Amino acid sequence: MMAHRTILNIPMNRVEGDLEISVAIEDATVVDAWSSGLMYRGIENILRNRDAMDGLVITPRVCGICTTSHLTAAAMALDAVSGAAVPDNAIRMRNLALLTEQVQSDVRHAFLMFHVDFTNPAHAQAEWYAEAMHRYQPFKGKCVIETVRETGKLVEVIAIIGGQWPHSSFMVPGGLASAPSAGDLLQCEMLVRQFRGWYEKRILGCTIERWQQVQSLADLDAWLEENDRHRQSEVGFFLRIGRAVGLDRLGAGVKNFLSYGAFPLPGDTTLTPLGGHGDRLVPAGFLQGTTLLGFDQTEIREQVKYSWYEDDPGGRHPDNGLTRPYATGAEGFKYSWAKAPRYRGLPAETGPLAERLVARDPLITDLVGRLGATALTRQFARLTRPATMLPVMEQWLAETDPNGLYYRHPAELVAGEGYGLTQVPRGALGHWLRIEEGRIVNYQIITPTAWNGSPRDDHDVRGPWEEALVGTSVKDPANPVELGHVVRSFDPCLVCTVHAATGGNRNPRNTRFKV
Amino acid sequence: MPLSLFWLQGGGCSGDSMALLNLEGPNLFAQLEYIGIELLWHPSLSHGTPRQYDELLAALLAGERPLDILCLEGAVIRGPGGTGMYDTHRRRPKKDLIAALAHRARYVVAVGTCASFGGVGGDGDVEATGLQYRKRQKGGFLGADFTSGAGLPVINLPGCPCHPEIVVRMLASLEGHWALPLNEFNSPLQWYGMLVHQGCIRNEYHEYRVEETDFGRRGCLFFHLGCQGPLTHGPCNKLRWNNRNSKTSAGVPCLGCTDPEFPKQHPFFKTRNIAGIPYDLPEGVDRAHYLAYKGMAAAAAPERLLARKTRV
Repeated sequence: MMAHRTILNIPMNRVEGDLEISVAIEDATVVDAWSSGLMYRGIENILRNRDAMDGLVITPRVCGICTTSHLTAAAMALDAVSGAAVPDNAIRMRNLALLTEQVQSDVRHAFLMFHVDFTNPAHAQAEWYAEAMHRYQPFKGKCVIETVRETGKLVEVIAIIGGQWPHSSFMVPGGLASAPSAGDLLQCEMLVRQFRGWYEKRILGCTIERWQQVQSLADLDAWLEENDRHRQSEVGFFLRIGRAVGLDRLGAGVKNFLSYGAFPLPGDTTLTPLGGHGDRLVPAGFLQGTTLLGFDQTEIREQVKYSWYEDDPGGRHPDNGLTRPYATGAEGFKYSWAKAPRYRGLPAETGPLAERLVARDPLITDLVGRLGATALTRQFARLTRPATMLPVMEQWLAETDPNGLYYRHPAELVAGEGYGLTQVPRGALGHWLRIEEGRIVNYQIITPTAWNGSPRDDHDVRGPWEEALVGTSVKDPANPVELGHVVRSFDPCLVCTVHAATGGNRNPRNTRFKV
Repeated sequence: MPLSLFWLQGGGCSGDSMALLNLEGPNLFAQLEYIGIELLWHPSLSHGTPRQYDELLAALLAGERPLDILCLEGAVIRGPGGTGMYDTHRRRPKKDLIAALAHRARYVVAVGTCASFGGVGGDGDVEATGLQYRKRQKGGFLGADFTSGAGLPVINLPGCPCHPEIVVRMLASLEGHWALPLNEFNSPLQWYGMLVHQGCIRNEYHEYRVEETDFGRRGCLFFHLGCQGPLTHGPCNKLRWNNRNSKTSAGVPCLGCTDPEFPKQHPFFKTRNIAGIPYDLPEGVDRAHYLAYKGMAAAAAPERLLARKTRV
C-alpha cells in the first residue's frame, strides 16, 4: 500500500532573496526536498563589456547584507589580474571591514532570523516560551532591539573606513581608495571595544578570555553549569532550548565541508593562521567526512541539469562559465535559478561550521564528533564565531600605521584572468573574471548560498540543505517550524517563499511557463 | 489609527532594508511607533506562519483590510519577454502582486533606485523597471497616469541604498502638516533638491581645482576619478551615512546612485574629459564660464592645498 504522500511548499520569510522549499512528506516525515531559487537578476551578464573596475560597484549590489563581502572578492580578483602588491595597512583595513560585516551578520542572523523561530506558536507550551518571547519577539524583543542597536553601531567601522555601509566601493586593486587617519582608527577601536563589551555581557555571559578556555563538549557542559550568567546568556539559553527543541537531531547535511580560506596575513602581523595551516588567518580546505583535503579551485564545477539554464552536461569551471537562462515548464524538470556548484563532483556545505571544522577548531571539532553536524552545532558555530574574530579585529586595528601606505598603484588592467575567493558571513564566495582590452569579457560569481541551497546536480544528487531536510519530522504541516529551523541554520541568503498544497500527485517541479 | 504599511521586495538586494536597520536616534522600531505606523509585513523581519501571510495578503487584496502604505524595494522584473517569470511569487509573476497591491494602497513609495527607476537590472535581460519610471522615462510599470488612493503618483526615494533617514521622514510626512514638494521625478525636493557635492569635505580642493588622478589622496575626485557628486541629487553629505561619513568624504567617488540612469554605462572610476575638463559639468553650469573659472581657480590655489597639507 502506498503511504500517503503530501507535497508541501513552505514560505519562509526572514531570509534575504527569493527561495521556495518544497518537501514531500510521508508519515509526518520529510522523504524528499527541492530548493528553488525563485529570482533571476542576471548580474553576471550585466557586467559583460563594462570597464574592468566596474565589478567593484555592481557586485556589492548582489546582496545588501554581504555587500563588503562581494567588494572584497571583486577587489581580490582585480588584484590578481594586475599583479597588485597590496600594502600591509590596506590588507588590515580590508580584513577589518570584512570581519565587521561578518560579525554584524552573524549576530543579526541569530536574533532577527534564526532565534525568532523559538517564538513560533508551535513552541507555545514550552516552559521557556515566555522567556523566548521576551528576548526574540519581532520588533519588540529585548535581544532584537539590542541587536539592531549594537550591530548598527558596529558597522560604523566600515563607514569610517569606506564612507558608508551598505554599498561602498572603497577597496580598489592595489589597496584602498581611502586613507584612514589616526583619529579614524581610534574611533574604530572604540566601536569594536564597545561591541565586544556587549557581546561578552549578553551573548557569552563571560569574557572572551574565559570563553576561549572552552575547548570540548565536556568544557562546554561545565561552563554551562558554572553560573547563572552563563546559563542566562544567549549562548547558554540557546544550548538549553536548542536541545529541548531537538535541534541536535535536526538537519544533518551532506557531511562535506568547504572553506575557501580568508584574511591574508600582513607581512608584519603577530597573528598566525587558525589551525596552524595555510597562509591566511582562516585556512582553505575541503573536509570529506573527517578527512581534510587541500583546496584547489580548479576542482569546482557548476552544473545546470536541474537549473533554469541551457543544458550543459558535466558542468563548467567558472573560468569559462556560462549564464544562459532557459526556462520552460514543458520538461517539468528544472526547478531553480541557482546553479549546482560541486567540488570534486560532490555537494558541499559551507559557512561558519564548515570554516571552523576546516580550521580544526577544537571545540567545534569535538562537538561535531560527538553530536554531529546538525542545526544545533551549525547555529552554535555561527553564534560563537565573533568570540574568535573580535580580538583579531582589535589586533589588526592596533597594528595599523595611519601614516603608512594604504594604496600602491597597480599595473593597468588591460587583459588577463583572475579570481577572488574568500570566506564571508555565509561561507565560501568566489568571483572569477576575464578582462580583454580593459573590459570585462566574462564574470562568474558563486555565492555561499549557491553551495548550500544548491538544487540537484548532473547525477541527481541533492544539495546540502535539500539533503539536510530529508528525515525531518513535521508535526503540523500548516506550521512546519522544524523546516524553518533546518534551513535557517544554513543562514540562507535568498527570500524563501512557500505555499502549502496537499494531494498525492502534485509534482512540485512542474512549473508552468514558457519563455 | 496607525497607518498600515506593507513592505514588498522585488528584484533587489535588500540593501535598503539593511540600511534602514542602521537608523539611530531612536531605532527603526521606535520611530515607526512614534510616527504611528503598523508594519503589517516585512519579508526580512516579520515572523508569522505561511498561512498568516496568505490570510493577510488575501484580506489586503480583497479590500477587507485597509492598506495605507505600500513600500516596494527592488525593481519590477518583467523578463523574460514581458512574462515576469524571472521573479515569481506562488508560481506567478511577482509583478502581478505588485500591481494588485499598488492599486489597493493609499500611498505607494518606491524605496531605492531599483524600485524608482529600474536600477541595476535596467539594462539586463531581466527587463527591470521602476514602478512609474524606467530610467528618465515616465510610465514604468504602473503607467504615467497612475495615482494611488490618496491621489498621488508613486513617490520615488532613489539611492543605492536609499538613506534610512529619508525613508522614515517621508513616511512621517505622508499625513503630516507639511506638504513635501516633489521634483520632476516625483522625489521630494527636501532631500533631492541638493547635490551630493554640497557638504563634501573635499570641496575646498574642488574650488581650487586640486584634482587627483589616483586613489588614496586628499584632493577632489571630479576631474579624473569619476566622481558624480556635482551632478547627482541627494543629501549624502548632509545626512551622513551611518552617522559618520560619506563616500566622497572618505575618498570614494560618488557613483551617481540616485540618478535615474544608475548604473550608467561609462566606467565608474574614470571621468570622461574634453581637454582636461569633464564632459559632464556640474549641474546647470556653462562650459565657457566654467573653463575660465577653473583656470583662474587653479592659478589661485594656495600651497597648503597643492601640497595636500589640509587633511580632510
